[in-house]
Amino acid sequence: MSDKIDISKKESNPEKSLQEESDEEILDTDDEEELLLPRDTLLSAGIHIGTRMRTKDMDNFIYRVRPDGLFVLDVKKTDERIRIAAKFLSRFEPARIAVVAARLYARYPAKKFCEVTKATPIVGRFVPGLFSNPLYSNRLEPAVIIVSDPKADAQAVEEAGIMGIPVIALCSTDNEFTGVDFVIPTNNKGRRALAIIYWMFARQVLREREELAPDKDIDLSIDDFEAKISRVEM
Amino acid sequence: MSTATKNTTVIQTPICTSCNRTIPPGAEATRFDCPNCGEIIIWRCQKCRQFGRKYKCPKCGFMGP
Ligand SMILES: [Zn+2]
Ligand SMILES: [Zn+2]
Repeated sequence: MSDKIDISKKESNPEKSLQEESDEEILDTDDEEELLLPRDTLLSAGIHIGTRMRTKDMDNFIYRVRPDGLFVLDVKKTDERIRIAAKFLSRFEPARIAVVAARLYARYPAKKFCEVTKATPIVGRFVPGLFSNPLYSNRLEPAVIIVSDPKADAQAVEEAGIMGIPVIALCSTDNEFTGVDFVIPTNNKGRRALAIIYWMFARQVLREREELAPDKDIDLSIDDFEAKISRVEM
Repeated sequence: MSTATKNTTVIQTPICTSCNRTIPPGAEATRFDCPNCGEIIIWRCQKCRQFGRKYKCPKCGFMGP
């Protein structure tokens, strides 16, 4: 919420630093290829806003550093990766796709993603052994997993590694690629950013499965994907 | 995972797409179809996954992770 306001102010600030100006030149470029959502929608949700930390792993996805020290992601690459990830997922049996979300703001959009794509949600605390303990009666055997943050969902990433399950991860500027097979660069902490990324991703998966026409939207809105602040547990 | 007979050798031992080393049977590794083109099987050994090493699809050029 706070970064949402912060960004819109930043983008319209007439006194831009040189760095910001050169940034906008590229951000405003009318790419021939359209983005999955208008750039403004992505930017106002802070999809591109990372953290004050950058890892070497994320270098290729980082666009610049803002004067306030926040590293910013390249939304074009976010868009590209969502498209490829959706293609990738469309080759799996829906129920064998598991979506992991330990962190509060990720839980609700992850569940909505599963509702739309018929994937299996694993939200809240990840029970150790859920993938890797053969003695655990409720053990799951997904064919692929999506983690909302490889740091917060480290247990799932580790167990997927043991079991040879490929891992798709939403990664911000502070994430490392340990145990990750496919990265989707995005703000993975903001409430609105997570709603948009999971909404966009869900819609793209249905389009790739040809369950949805390329110009059609899913029934649920982005707002429907957003965790409500008053909601304690989803 | 490789079978050898007198006249033919069928090599099925997977090779890590990142480091080109063979992955011994039973070793921790992931395999998946190239996320982009879906036509090539990508193998990643435990080490390469641990260190987040890049892999490149020989067919479409997709670079991961
Ligand atoms: Zn390797
Ligand atoms: Zn490929």
